[in-house]
Amino acid sequence: MADTLTVHRAGLATVQDLGRFGRSRYGLPVNGALDQHSARVANVLCGNAEGGPLLEITALDFSCTPSTDVLVAVTGAPADLTVDGVARPQWEPVSVRSGQTIRITGIRLGIRVYLAVLGSFNTPSLQGSCAPDTILGFGHVLRDGDELGLHTHCPPLDHPHFRIPLFRLSAPVPRFHATWTIDVTDGPDLAEFGDTAERLFRAPYTVSAQSNHIGLRLGGEVPRRVATGEVLSRGVPVGAVEVPAGDELLVLHRGRGVTAGYPVLAVVTATGLSALGQVRPGQSLRFRHRTLAEAVTAHRAQRHAVDALKTRVRTVFDALRIPVPPL
Amino acid sequence: MPDTDSSVAIVDCGDSAVVARATSGDAERDWQLVHSLADAFDAVRLDGVYGIVPTYDALLVEFDCAGTDHETVRRVLRREADRLGEGPVRTAAARRFVVPVVYGGEYGPDLPVVAEQLGLTEQEVVELHSGADLTVRCLGAPAGAPMMDGPAFPRPVPRLASPRTRVLPGSVAVAGRQAVICPMPSPGGWPLLGRTPLSVLDLDADPLTPYRPGDTFRFRPITPEQWDDHAGLPLAVSHG
Repeated sequence: MADTLTVHRAGLATVQDLGRFGRSRYGLPVNGALDQHSARVANVLCGNAEGGPLLEITALDFSCTPSTDVLVAVTGAPADLTVDGVARPQWEPVSVRSGQTIRITGIRLGIRVYLAVLGSFNTPSLQGSCAPDTILGFGHVLRDGDELGLHTHCPPLDHPHFRIPLFRLSAPVPRFHATWTIDVTDGPDLAEFGDTAERLFRAPYTVSAQSNHIGLRLGGEVPRRVATGEVLSRGVPVGAVEVPAGDELLVLHRGRGVTAGYPVLAVVTATGLSALGQVRPGQSLRFRHRTLAEAVTAHRAQRHAVDALKTRVRTVFDALRIPVPPL
Repeated sequence: MPDTDSSVAIVDCGDSAVVARATSGDAERDWQLVHSLADAFDAVRLDGVYGIVPTYDALLVEFDCAGTDHETVRRVLRREADRLGEGPVRTAAARRFVVPVVYGGEYGPDLPVVAEQLGLTEQEVVELHSGADLTVRCLGAPAGAPMMDGPAFPRPVPRLASPRTRVLPGSVAVAGRQAVICPMPSPGGWPLLGRTPLSVLDLDADPLTPYRPGDTFRFRPITPEQWDDHAGLPLAVSHG
């Protein structure tokens, strides 16, 4: 297969997937798409496996042209999506003809956009995943002019009424905000913070520019550890809210080192982590306390919505005779 | 609610993780227990579990709470911990790695400061660091770094007040009562004593690093002139 996706304007884009699972015992962070929900939905809208490779486009404008007819889906933060200058919807499959230019501009409210293509990208893999690991120096960071190998097999889809969307699949679209509410549950070391723990919920925090896929730094009123004594290095989960010395909170995200030595005050929920993957430096966020049961229920509801979408996609693709790989 | 029936306490750690903590208070025994428990739990291959991190006295288990639940993970951890009983024994034979290190100077810029903090000469610090086999306790951050029991220094070594933004690969560092080799360039707050010319990590290997918890490292001082004799060679088990 010699089909390619030619990248004109790469901005800050990488080939990404849901992460490198099962390697934390060997010291490797899971990494993977920071907004897991949007990444899953992009692949599902293309009939792909949820964990297949797709593009993660961060903050800056992006454009590319496929060498063959493709079906794409663009999810994540609100942005202006056009194909040869014609506005197209996010969160729905979009048919793109060979040689047309896909443009994603004006990413707003959130910071990450996901672009999946029916089929797969040709990209290097490490321990079963193409997810970039910046500490290992692994990952496919796109550059202007790159030609990304494409394995695709989508017939051209003609629509009798141009500009009327071909699909109405009603994907589960999360809300994007200028100020965010991020759900957390109690952390295992909550008691070490005494009365100061409640500060976490009192006022909003401002997201520092030093934030990335490893962790977000938040400025604001910081709880203080009242217990003394050294904390032995131990495994900390993605989502751990830590209070290092200084005036900032640290919230660990998917690129975090698997071990750390700070007490864990709270843990961001699974749905909260997808939202946190969209928070922009300079925005403000508030934490909201959830019980474990509430957090699990919310995550299962979100995943159930993706499963239901998968079924609708199958039905529609079968009707249109779009071949999809077996899941 | 913490589950503390026996020598292991199991606590929830958010909606996608639990932690099992060994509670005997004996460091060697706690470490044996969490690593034995990690092996036993891993062998169960429970659906939905995607990562385990055994360290000194704790085992973190991360999972997808849409694919399994806290109760199931806790139950399996408890069952495997009970099965291990009172005297867990790890069966994997310890291997020994001999690691050449250039100490001090540009290779270990914090050697003078560490010596001063410990009230020792630089030579004494090097002798203590290279004078005994150090046991790998776990693989940690960054990039599967071998986290070792530190050398027999008279007291813990403080972390740097201001962490470096980039530590060179192969850097040999100490902090608290721990020692480590940094496999890849990364930020770091641990004082650097020296640097090995060996290549610690191989991106084409699986796993990426050759050592396991329980293995030992012996550091061997070399001169800067001997650096090129070892440069880029892979870290490998010593059969000498």
